Amino acid sequence: MSKLETRSAFHDVAAPGRYGRPDGDAGVIVSECEGLGLVTLEGRKGAQARLLKAIQNAYGVEAPDGPTVASGRDVRFIGMGPGQWLAVSETMQNEALTDDLVGKLEGLASIVDQSSGRATLRIEGPNARDCLAKGFAIDLDPRVFPDGSAATGAISLMGALVWRDGEAYDVVVFRSVAASFWHWLEASAAEYGCEIVTTS
Amino acid sequence: MAGPQINRLDGAGLIDREKTVSFRFDGADLTGHPGDTLASALLANGIRLVGRSFKYHRPRGILTAGSEEPNALVELRTDARREPNTRATTVELYDGLDAASQNRWPSLKYDLLSLNQLASPIFGAGFYYKTFMWPAAFWEKLYEPMIRRAAGLGHPSKLPDPDHYEKTNAFCDVLVIGAGAAGLSAALSSAKTGARVILCDEDFRLGGRLLAEQGDVDGESASDWARAAEAELESLADCRILRRTTVFGVYDGGTYAAIERVNDHVPVPPAHEPRQRLWRIVAKQSVLCAGAFERPLLFGDNDRPGVMLAGAVRAYVNRFGVAPGRSAVVFADNDDSFATAADLNEAGIEVKAVVDPRRTPSSTAKDIAEAAGVPYISGNITRVRGAHGITAVEARAADGTTKGFDCDVLAMSGGWSPALNLTTHLGGKPVWDHTRSCLLAGDMPPGMQVAGAAAGLASVQDCLASGEAAGADAAKSCGFEPPKLRHRAPSGEPVPATPVWQVEGGRGKAFVDFQNDVAVSDVKLAAREGFHVPEHVKRYTTLGMATDQGKTSNLNGAAVLAGSTGQYVGAVGSTTFRPPFSPVAIGALAGHHRGKAFRATRLAASHRWAEERGAVFVEVGAWMRALMFPKPGESPQETINREVANTRKNVGVCDVSTLGKIDVQGADAGTFLDRVYINGFSKLAVGKARYGLMLREDGFAMDDGTTARFADDHFYMTTTTANAVKVSQHLEFCQQVLWPELDVQTVSVTEQWAQYAVAGPNSRKVIEALLDPGQDLFNDAFPYMACGTFTICGGVSARVFRLSFSGELAYEIAVPARLGDALIRAIMEAGEAHGIAPYGTDALGVMRIEKGHAAGPELNGQTTAHDLGLGRMMSKKKDFIGRHMGERDALNEAVRAALVGLKPLDPAEPVRAGAHLVPKGADVVPENDQGYVTSMAYSPELETFVALAMLEDGPARCGEVVMVCDLLRGGETLAEVCSPHFVDPEGARLRV
Repeated sequence: MSKLETRSAFHDVAAPGRYGRPDGDAGVIVSECEGLGLVTLEGRKGAQARLLKAIQNAYGVEAPDGPTVASGRDVRFIGMGPGQWLAVSETMQNEALTDDLVGKLEGLASIVDQSSGRATLRIEGPNARDCLAKGFAIDLDPRVFPDGSAATGAISLMGALVWRDGEAYDVVVFRSVAASFWHWLEASAAEYGCEIVTTS
Repeated sequence: MAGPQINRLDGAGLIDREKTVSFRFDGADLTGHPGDTLASALLANGIRLVGRSFKYHRPRGILTAGSEEPNALVELRTDARREPNTRATTVELYDGLDAASQNRWPSLKYDLLSLNQLASPIFGAGFYYKTFMWPAAFWEKLYEPMIRRAAGLGHPSKLPDPDHYEKTNAFCDVLVIGAGAAGLSAALSSAKTGARVILCDEDFRLGGRLLAEQGDVDGESASDWARAAEAELESLADCRILRRTTVFGVYDGGTYAAIERVNDHVPVPPAHEPRQRLWRIVAKQSVLCAGAFERPLLFGDNDRPGVMLAGAVRAYVNRFGVAPGRSAVVFADNDDSFATAADLNEAGIEVKAVVDPRRTPSSTAKDIAEAAGVPYISGNITRVRGAHGITAVEARAADGTTKGFDCDVLAMSGGWSPALNLTTHLGGKPVWDHTRSCLLAGDMPPGMQVAGAAAGLASVQDCLASGEAAGADAAKSCGFEPPKLRHRAPSGEPVPATPVWQVEGGRGKAFVDFQNDVAVSDVKLAAREGFHVPEHVKRYTTLGMATDQGKTSNLNGAAVLAGSTGQYVGAVGSTTFRPPFSPVAIGALAGHHRGKAFRATRLAASHRWAEERGAVFVEVGAWMRALMFPKPGESPQETINREVANTRKNVGVCDVSTLGKIDVQGADAGTFLDRVYINGFSKLAVGKARYGLMLREDGFAMDDGTTARFADDHFYMTTTTANAVKVSQHLEFCQQVLWPELDVQTVSVTEQWAQYAVAGPNSRKVIEALLDPGQDLFNDAFPYMACGTFTICGGVSARVFRLSFSGELAYEIAVPARLGDALIRAIMEAGEAHGIAPYGTDALGVMRIEKGHAAGPELNGQTTAHDLGLGRMMSKKKDFIGRHMGERDALNEAVRAALVGLKPLDPAEPVRAGAHLVPKGADVVPENDQGYVTSMAYSPELETFVALAMLEDGPARCGEVVMVCDLLRGGETLAEVCSPHFVDPEGARLRV
């Protein structure tokens, strides 16, 4: 067993509990998605067709062409640009996802682990969209951002990737700005009442 | 003298008479009701004098009932929340409100500075361009400070703002700006189609002028209709209503800015709520229903307290249940305004006369006057009596007879100007409408329509109809099925307006721009001096440049200009408006980004550990890096010396995670790097790293770093901290634009890896202590510049690089950042037996200067590879970015400043960075400037200050003594030119 322990990006800033407006149901519920496998994939030249086929075979899903989330076996693929995806897995944590992808897609794509380089929060609740709107300049209204949509932008001047999973929004930011992001999130969610839940 | 609400009318008004609100004005305790503005409450208490004008300190009263108010500027609140220049007409009254008048000393009633008025002949327009010119030396010491003290209105608080502000984004199909008759109709017709609608109004109640006028709409009172419309809109799920919200700017791409005064109307915002909120609204279509501004008439002393716009008088009577006075005269050049007489009568206010300055008397106006039982005079107001508040007026009739009327309010109207400000924000110019004698919107921002009074319409029915049609049209443009329209389209041609632009025969100054004290005489003076277009007259006279941006004065000023230059008023044109429509607090524009939150802070994985160790941090871009780790009682220099000495003697550890790290993969990765760096990488062996320098296209050095090869198709590049993002973007540009045919993929992994430099004679021992059994770090197994993947601490995969920035035997070890905190602690634990101590960026800097390694101060954008002594690194076998331009003659001259070392003749004398170099004994003048010092450090090992510098033909001048001149901090030092490699120049320590 390793003597080195993982430390959450939010370790020093977030503790479970109720913040902001104390009465009534919390309008915003936040939980950390710790340990997610997160990998950037960029197709190698001339291998696009074979790559898509390999992904289909290995994970049972068509890698999306555009900013949407395609959910396969244990892995979601999110379109980040032409021939570029972010692969996300809750079951294959941290480096395990990279290892799996390398095993199945080697030579067809450049595969780079980003599990440690990102911090991911799940934001839900009746005021999740109102809260995110205070920093994210993308229209999250369900009529234009249906389930499975994704968007890359900035939240409060920090680069962020947001995707919709049912009624929840997952927000991914650089690990190094986790504390700054948290500061913004607390301030923005305060008027709705914010409940912090952790997964770990 | 003001008593308890002596001018409050019984019964009328949209105020809550059940509750009483207490407030203060200039120290006097007063009362009002919820629903009042500060202005209506002051008038209710019989207070007419509310301020002193900017230049002449003339007594001023409340002119309007809206955000266009030029006179009634007050200082609101005290202490940290004090807000100067707030318009009393828009301040929502609340319990405990504390307001003070401005621009007067010692008091509002007795203002010494009103003596300015005696000097008014020289204080005309443009006087600052003519006076204060001579003698020139007096400007800085005397005139400017004098003017500065006299300038400005009000005093802001100098304390930090205790409230917080917020920004947010919203998206909609239709944005309706203004919730009067037209706006409510537009919102209804568009929202009922299912479109997403946002309706904004600057007021705390919706309804606009429906709240101010008598008369019925669709069978109910105007205000009841407004209330019902509001209720219907509230019931529609996709309609968002923003009250107290001013849409202040139109920008590209259907983007609008609005400011919501969330909690301006309470003493302290409730917990967790912002004071104000800035909205960035993206709308596919918009309907501008901003109404119109009433124009004053231009006659002598038209600025006396008690002279008010007729529409405002009706608003105070009908909406606020306040009598602006007890005895009134109405003076107007348009028929609609004479209805003021009827409203006043009904409220029990005596109307002494209505005066009509139009050349042709109006039968409509006569009928209205007769119905109200009020004398109708076709003529002009020629005299206004009562400097601190009007007591009487004199009117001269067309037949030459003059009559006096005692009165305490004069309701005047020169017609209405559509509030088309937002239509010009993207450069559109208004166009003159001859029939209506006003400016209407010309070229509109894309997606915007104008409706209601903002489109020049006058009657309520016309405004309802035009709003409804515009809203339906906007929804249709967004793809929604438009509803059947209920209101008839606006009736045919409007009745031609016959405005009287200037009233003849009066005495006294006739004010055009009340806030900046610009009178008719000033505009005429400007015209005489050759300023014939509004843009010039504006700047010369300052008409339209105050906080009200000329809302009640622009067109009047243009008309005076037209008269003075013999032009038709419609041909004069107008100025253009830019955002913001009305003042916006800077705090709202900043929102969350105040203090440290100005931008995000980036923290490395070791940050908490470094804090625990008492590190002092420095900002490097957005990152916080440990500058040093002082022990109690140490001076900073002692700390640095200790850290350097310990690293060179035992072992030190430094967090280098912030340096840019870029993953480069692909079959053509090596070729790609060959083209990006000046030296070769395609032939670098797997398991090796190499220092690389990259140039800009113009041949100047851009960035450097070490790039390691993990596989044939896999490299790991590092950059400087400061240029990490720039280099990433550069590589993307090269991939996507320059060489899209190459099979190469790059992605930043700066965040993914926590990386630490472990340096010093004992560094190998420390790394070995972390390694899992069976792995070899001996010199030949893992020589200088080797790289590889190892497992450490029971199975954790780590990358190890044998690199040295310090010049000692050194390694860099990297793990995924989630383990970064654990690793730094493990390194410290493993190193304890070997004398390990952490070192920060200051010590890091000393060591690299001792070694003569170029870094940020040398890679300053003005140096080439040759200048840095790295010319031999430039490959002759391949092309690379910057090669061609780097071959320009000027970049290859011997006399170019090149990198050298400097040692002061007195070892205790610092050679300061930024100082310039001249030959010893030469004059310190630009002609003798031969270079500059880039980096400086005290070397504990050599016990002397050392420096790196760029010196003309430097490398050929080793041994020469030059003079180092610090022109900024003062002082000159003599220093010897030498090699920049001070410590271990052979590099023997690297290879043990």
